[in-house]
Amino acid sequence: MPDAPIPEAPPPDAVTAERFRAVVMPHLDAAYGFARYLTRDPVQAQDVAQEAMLRALRYFYAFRGEEARPWLLRIVRNTWSDFRSRKGANDQPLDVVEDRAADGPDPEQSALDGDRRRHVVAALAALPSEAREILVLREIEDFSYKHIASVLDLPVGTVMSRLARAREKLAAELRGRLGRRGHGLSDM
Amino acid sequence: MDCPTCEAMIDAYVDGELSATESAAFEAALPGCPDCRRRLEDARAMSGFLRDLPAERAPDLLRAKIERELRAISSASKPQARPVLGQNMRWMAMAASLVLAVSIGWVGGTFTGRPGGGDDELVSTYLRVASSDHPVDVASTDRHTVKPWFAGRIDYSPPVRDLTSSGFPLEGGRLDVVAGRKVSVLVYRHNQHRVALSLWPATASGNTPPKVVERNGFVMAEWRHDGFEMHAVSDLGVSEMASFAAALDRATGEDR
Repeated sequence: MPDAPIPEAPPPDAVTAERFRAVVMPHLDAAYGFARYLTRDPVQAQDVAQEAMLRALRYFYAFRGEEARPWLLRIVRNTWSDFRSRKGANDQPLDVVEDRAADGPDPEQSALDGDRRRHVVAALAALPSEAREILVLREIEDFSYKHIASVLDLPVGTVMSRLARAREKLAAELRGRLGRRGHGLSDM
Repeated sequence: MDCPTCEAMIDAYVDGELSATESAAFEAALPGCPDCRRRLEDARAMSGFLRDLPAERAPDLLRAKIERELRAISSASKPQARPVLGQNMRWMAMAASLVLAVSIGWVGGTFTGRPGGGDDELVSTYLRVASSDHPVDVASTDRHTVKPWFAGRIDYSPPVRDLTSSGFPLEGGRLDVVAGRKVSVLVYRHNQHRVALSLWPATASGNTPPKVVERNGFVMAEWRHDGFEMHAVSDLGVSEMASFAAALDRATGEDR
């Protein structure tokens, strides 16, 4: 038969749903958190995370017991990149971002911990997405280079050099914010 | 080791991605390279700053939407026995938090049976409990605190029971509006999940057994017990909801 249809993903059934609950749902917070850092916007983060979870559910039949969190975060990242191209949206202007970033993910706690945490959140938000995403995966998700490579679809060697550049950029941002050019960051 | 080599190793060293031999070589080279030492300190400091950021938590509403999707799939592709309780507890412990809320309300003559939109209103009550930062107006596991709180806020006194011994600790109470009348809502917790229940004085007499149904991805239970109409809405499974209703009825019986 010519033009045999490409096999479609089977619709998820009750067994898949239960397995999804056990394997993927524990990473919902991480999916949202990653979307939050990618989008720098809580509302958009929720849209991206929701769409990513539904995609994950649709593709879960093909999940073969690799580690669930990197698998899910890769879907989050792809979803976000589709959102951006669909809407033709670029990153938001920085002043908007900084206003929001200054609130931090948790304003109350940020206030308690003083300025430093706010500066860190704002500096991170000001970085280009390429630097931001790799720092979040490494430091907040505590991913190994191998897992970062699988999320970002990069060779491990590139992960290392990109991470080094990202740290340099973050250090420069922080120094700029603190007016401490040439001083060590560790006394912050 | 020359400086460019040592410099190139800083990040991998901080990230624990060097082999033991490489790490040792790097550490041996450091004292001769103040520049690299400073960069190492910076990298470590930044790592510490980022790890110090508060963890993000998915909004309850997002969680409820995904749970709802999962339940819709389960109910569409069954019927098949739900897993035994032990298994259930295992995935529930791993899964996200659910909320079970129970509202207890006086709706008087205007609310006979279930007017159109009643389910939606009860689900909205549940979602307010599930997605709010302040799911309850009075937060207490002590029914002797929760029950008096309703006095003067609504025109009847709802029976308040703590069901901790049955696995549904009382979390508190709140007011909501159903069918245009102020009603009391009791909020219970089950593992990581919350549950919302609405209840008001019955106009008909006699008890009815709990009727548990899955509707629009939520599990709802309604029954009449001891002079009150009970309406519970939650994200729990059908069998947990049935246990909840049974536990509530038992507690009411023991109390008299």
